Amino acid sequence: MTQSKEQAIRRAKADLSKRLGIAENQISEASIENTDFPDMSLGAPAEDEMSAQMISAGWKIRLNAEGKSYEYRADADQLRLFQFEGANHLI
Amino acid sequence: MNRNNFWIHLALAISLIAVAAIVGQLSRFDFENKPENSKNKACAMTRSRQEREPEVLVKFRSNVPLAEILKITAKQNDRIEDEIESVPGLTSVDDLDGRPPEQVAEEYRKLGEMVEYAEPNFQIALDPETSDQNPPILAGEDKKDNLPDDPLFGVQWALRNIGQNNGKEKADLDALKAWEKTKGSSDVVVAVLDTGVDYAHQDLATNIWTRPDSLAAYKDNELGTIADEHGFNAVDNARDPMDENGHGTHCAGIIGAEGDNKEGIAGINWKVQIMPLKFLGRGGYGTTKDAIEAINYAIERKKAGVNIRVISASWGSTAYSRALEDVIRKAGEEGILFVAAAGNASTDNDKTPHYPSSYKLPNVISVAALDRFDNLASFSNYGVKSVHVAAPGKEIMSTWLKGDYREASGTSMATPYVSGVAALALSVEPNLSVEKLREKILKSVDKLDGLNGKLETGGRINAAKAVSK
Repeated sequence: MTQSKEQAIRRAKADLSKRLGIAENQISEASIENTDFPDMSLGAPAEDEMSAQMISAGWKIRLNAEGKSYEYRADADQLRLFQFEGANHLI
Repeated sequence: MNRNNFWIHLALAISLIAVAAIVGQLSRFDFENKPENSKNKACAMTRSRQEREPEVLVKFRSNVPLAEILKITAKQNDRIEDEIESVPGLTSVDDLDGRPPEQVAEEYRKLGEMVEYAEPNFQIALDPETSDQNPPILAGEDKKDNLPDDPLFGVQWALRNIGQNNGKEKADLDALKAWEKTKGSSDVVVAVLDTGVDYAHQDLATNIWTRPDSLAAYKDNELGTIADEHGFNAVDNARDPMDENGHGTHCAGIIGAEGDNKEGIAGINWKVQIMPLKFLGRGGYGTTKDAIEAINYAIERKKAGVNIRVISASWGSTAYSRALEDVIRKAGEEGILFVAAAGNASTDNDKTPHYPSSYKLPNVISVAALDRFDNLASFSNYGVKSVHVAAPGKEIMSTWLKGDYREASGTSMATPYVSGVAALALSVEPNLSVEKLREKILKSVDKLDGLNGKLETGGRINAAKAVSK
């Protein structure tokens, strides 16, 4: 899988919509920023996951829904939901 | 020029301008839509020397959006000529006013909130041609024969820091002095436990381990027989450890890119055997179970007579695994040193351990990262009780997928320097026990004030000291 920033945003919205059980049009983009993550799990390792310790560029995607904020992290190869209900999730 | 020729030249000129405009737009589109360090892009190092060079290289901070960068350059009456994909935020800038490069760079430096650094183009050697001429011998360096002819050696500040890019002279591993004594040995095998290795890379192929005909194919009770040729792939439980990410190939080049072969870079070992062990997938992450499976392969191969003396582990997490600890201990009992990255969270591993580097085992060395000024890199973890040594780990040039080269940063890059120095020491003293080898590495440091109270040894490894008996 290789994805663009726009594709990552679309995937993040679709994932959040499914998790919260709401329509995608009820989700808004709070901010999208280019950033450097500390490792190749984008600083959001899932349980039992090891990652290469190389500074990695990607996108931090903040979405708002139902008065709450949710953070997704992505690069060309992956999408992660950061600290959702106490855990990181590789989408 | 006759009338017909005039129209032909005019048409050609318009075509060329149109093509240039399209290419320029494509370049900008690319900049805007991909992560700056997109893992599948080649390093931009192939500009011909005959082409007009941009005057200044400007590294914008990662939080500065493209629109702002364009605004800044337009205000300076400059033009973005290119992005250097391998270094996020690094752009080459053309000045349209004909000012001296140093003056242009200074104006960008003044924008400190948005610009990390700016320098005239001639001070950075991303072009193999421009870096072909190795810098002159410094005082105290007495053997020019030890300067490898690898064209990118000039940018390998970790091996020989002569103040490239305004770095600090001699903030390096003292590789030239070490190479007076040894340039490595193909009797020593270093396992790179990572995303695999591009074993066909032109700068690595000679130094990749190949199973000899005399050694039977790998047999595992659960997996059956695997006809391993160049290592092991624990992601797919298969024979082929080809790298799909780039990270493992980068680490392998640091340890053992062939030296003095008129190609790319020099590894800290010019000669060595690198055994690729793949357990991290295309994205650069993997499971503890696969790490264990790969280490188990190394142990079994060691028992079968392959001289694996070091496992280089540029990965980790904060999750403790007793099983992983046990298999690393077992590797130590087989005489294998385990060198591990301290992590990139800028945190204290004494308080928040990072594994596997934080396992308190007699065969583990935990490695922090330094920048070209001998400072602890801003991202590097530390720990006076749990992180042992430091090594260069920022803006490190090494091998990448498909024959490319690129710069990368992280304790991932510092770790293979320590693994490589261990291999270099073993080339001189092949019978060192793992305990003695570890002790030798830890005692072979140059103490640095900035590391005092941060690391157990308070120092940066020194290859020359490590190879002296």
